[in-house]
Amino acid sequence: MKKIVMKFGGTSLAAGENFRRMASLVSRYVAQGCKVVAIISALEGVTDRLLEASEEAKRGNLESVYRFKGEITEEHLAAARRSINDKHVREEVAEALRSTVDELEKVLTGIVYVGELTPKSRDYVLSFGERLSTYIAWGTLRDVGLNAQYYTGESVGIVTDSNFGEAKPLLNVTKHQVKSRLEPVLEEGVVPVITGYIAATQDGVTTTLGRGGSDYTATIIGAALGVDEVWIWTSVDGLMTSDPKIVPSAKVIPKISFQEATEMAIFGAKVMHPRALEPAMEENIPVRIRNIFNPENPGTLIVREQMVKPVDVVKAIALVKDVALVNVSGAGMIGAPGTAAKVFGVLGRNDVNILMISQSVSEANISFIIERRSLEKAVNALEIALLGRGLIREVTAEDDVCVVAVVGAGMRGTPGVASRVFSAVARRGINVRMIAQGSSELNISFAVKKSDGEDAVQAIHEEFRLDKS
Amino acid sequence: MRIILVGFGVVGQSLARILLQRRSELMRGYGFHPKVVAVVDKGGAALDTRGLDLEEMLSLKVREGTVAASREHGHPRLSALDVIESAEAEVVVEATPTNIENGEPGLSHIKTAFRTGKHVVTTNKGPLALALPALTELAEYNGVYLRFSGTVGAGTPILDLAKKCLLGDRIISIRGVLNGTTNYILTEMDEERITFQQALEEAQRLGYAEADPSMDVDGLDTACKLVIMANWIMGERVTLEDVEVEGIRNVTREALEEASRRDCTIRLIGFIDDHLKVAPTEISKDDPLAVKGVLNAVTFTSEFAGEETIIGRGAGGMATASAVLRDLLNIKETLSTRLMT
Repeated sequence: MKKIVMKFGGTSLAAGENFRRMASLVSRYVAQGCKVVAIISALEGVTDRLLEASEEAKRGNLESVYRFKGEITEEHLAAARRSINDKHVREEVAEALRSTVDELEKVLTGIVYVGELTPKSRDYVLSFGERLSTYIAWGTLRDVGLNAQYYTGESVGIVTDSNFGEAKPLLNVTKHQVKSRLEPVLEEGVVPVITGYIAATQDGVTTTLGRGGSDYTATIIGAALGVDEVWIWTSVDGLMTSDPKIVPSAKVIPKISFQEATEMAIFGAKVMHPRALEPAMEENIPVRIRNIFNPENPGTLIVREQMVKPVDVVKAIALVKDVALVNVSGAGMIGAPGTAAKVFGVLGRNDVNILMISQSVSEANISFIIERRSLEKAVNALEIALLGRGLIREVTAEDDVCVVAVVGAGMRGTPGVASRVFSAVARRGINVRMIAQGSSELNISFAVKKSDGEDAVQAIHEEFRLDKS
Repeated sequence: MRIILVGFGVVGQSLARILLQRRSELMRGYGFHPKVVAVVDKGGAALDTRGLDLEEMLSLKVREGTVAASREHGHPRLSALDVIESAEAEVVVEATPTNIENGEPGLSHIKTAFRTGKHVVTTNKGPLALALPALTELAEYNGVYLRFSGTVGAGTPILDLAKKCLLGDRIISIRGVLNGTTNYILTEMDEERITFQQALEEAQRLGYAEADPSMDVDGLDTACKLVIMANWIMGERVTLEDVEVEGIRNVTREALEEASRRDCTIRLIGFIDDHLKVAPTEISKDDPLAVKGVLNAVTFTSEFAGEETIIGRGAGGMATASAVLRDLLNIKETLSTRLMT
C-alpha cells in the first residue's frame, strides 16, 4: 500500500473550486488504497498581506486591522462556501475560521498597542494564512467523505530552533514525534491535513520555516513517515528544459536528480527551494512535481540517481536576469594574498549576495555577478573601502548583462560539452563576457549582454536537442 | 553539583548509598561535591535547595514507602515533570523503569530536562531505544549532555571501552551476551539439564527474573541495548523497530544437549553488523562469549585492533549506580573544562 505526502500550494488552491479539485484528487488516491497526508499552503497572496497587515499594525493603524480582519474573514468564508456542500461541516469550518481570525485580530491589536513587531510576533501573524486555509481543506476533504483530521505544524510534532522567520527543524526530534503521532492515525484510515510552512520551538512558540515553506513541511513529513513519494501539486506540468516564454519548444523534464534540481533552483527556475529538497534527499524519497489542473500528466520526478544517457548531457537551461557584473582590477592585487577575502568581506558586510565569481590566473582582476538592485551599494562600498590603498585601481560595473546557466549531471566527465555550448553561442555572434564552472561540473554559467540572453538560451537548447527528448 | 534524582527504586537508592559512602573520597579525589536537591518517587517529591539528607531519604523510603513523607521537605502532590521544570539543578538522574511501548515517563522527563538546560544521566533504556537520535539532537541543540553508561552492562564499562579506549579505530561489528537473566537460564538448562520453565522459575526465585519476564526472555532487553550501541558506538541512526528479535522461550533441553555433543552451547546473542539481530545462537564453549550465570560479555571487532572482549556483571543496583556515578563525574569534568577554557 503506497504512502504519499501531497502538498497543495497557494496557486493550486486560490479559488473555492480548487479545494474541490484537491479533495477529489486526494479521495481518488485513497480509493486506490493509498495512504495520503495532505499539506496545505495559505491562499494565494495571503501571506504577503499578513506581512503588510503586521507592518500597518506596527505603525499603530488600528483601523487597518479591523478592515483587514473583515476582508480576510469574508475571503475564507467565501472559499469555504464554494468548497463545502454539507451544511454541518460548513458551519463547523466557518466557526473555526471565525475564532481563528478573532485570535489574529487580538495579535494584530496587540502589535498596534505595543508599537513593536518582533520576528517572533511576525511569525505568529504569518502562521494564520496556513491555519485558515487548512481548515477549509479539512472541511472539503470531510465533505467528499474522507475521515480527515486537522493538524498544525506544532501539533503534528515539527520542532524547530528559535530562529524566527527561517527556523531550522530539529530533524531527528521531529521525525520521532511526527512518526509516533501520525502512524497510528494513518493505520485507522485517517487523512491527516496539516498546515504547511509553520512549526514551533520546543517551548511551543510558533515559528515559520522561511525559504522552502510548505514544500519543506511536505518533505519533512515524508521523511518522518518514510513515504513512497512526496507530490508537490502546483499549476505547472513540472520542471521545463527552459522557460517556454524564451524557448517555445521547451519540454517537461520527466526525471531529474536532486543535485540537478538544486542547481536549477539556484538559477531561478521555479522549482522547490534546495532547503526543501534536503529531507527527501537524505531519506532517498522521490519528489514529484505535478499540475493540479492536468493531473493525467505524471510531471517531473526528482530522484537520487543521476539519469545520464549519452545523448542528454544537458538537462536544462536557465536565464538569470536582473543581474550586474562588477569588475575589480589593479596591478596591486597580483600575488597579494587576502585580496579576494577583502573584496568579498566588504560585500558580505553590506549584505550583497554574490551569484557567480571568476578570477584569471594573472590575478589582475576579479569579476563577479550580483543582483542588479544591489549594484550601487556594492560599487560604492568597494570604492570607499578599497580605493586609495594601493591594492585596487578601479571598480567598474555593467548592468546590461544576464547569466545563462546550463545544468546537467551528464556534463561531469564528458569532454567537449563546454566547447559545444560556446560554439553554439558563437555561431549566433554572441560575445561571452565571463564564464564560471564549479568543479562539480553540474553546471556551466556564463554572462552575456542582456540583449543576447534569449538568443543564447535558444542556441544551446537547439544544440543539445532538448526539444526532441 | 546539584542533582535531581527521578526514580528512587533499586538504582536510585544504590546511588544514594554510594554518594553517602564515598562522599569524602569524591570530594578529595575528583573535586566532586554532589548535592541531591530533589528526589522524586511514585509518592511525590522531597526538595531542599541546599541538598537533601540522603540517610533520611533512604530510611523514609524503607519506613514510609515514599520520600514525600519527609516532614520538612516532602511534597506528596508534586510530579516529576514539575520538579524537573522548576527546581534549579545542573543534572537530572533519570532512573525510572524502562517502558518500551512509548518510553514514558522517562522520555518526557529527559526532554523537559533538556528544555530547561539540565544535563541528563539515565539508566532507562526505553527512551533511548525508541528515540536516541532525537534525544542526542535535542541535547546538542540545548547545549547539554546526555550520558547513559549504566544502560548497557550496568557497571561494566562496555560503552566506554568502545567509545573511548578504541578511539581512532573503526568498530566493524559487535556481538554480545547482554542480558544476565537469559544467560543464567541458558546456563542452568545446559548444566543442570532442566527445561526452560524450570530454569525460569529458579531465576525468579533468586530474584534474577521479574514476575513478568518477557522483557528479558523475549530478547527485548538485549534489543534495546543493541540499539543504544549501534547509535552511540557505530553512529547509526536506528531505533527498536530496526532490530530482528527472537527470544529464548523455544530453546529446548534437547537442543542444548545436541549442541553440547559438538562441544558447543547456546547463548542469546545480539549482533550488530550490516543489520541488528537478537537470536539464540550456538557458539563454541571456547568462545569468550560463552560466559556463565548472570555475566555479560561483548566482543568488538575493530578494523586495526582486531577482536577484544569485555566481561562483567551486567545487572545489579550498586553496579548500575556506579555507572551513574561515572557519568556524573564525566559531566563534572567536561563542564569544568568548558568553564575554564
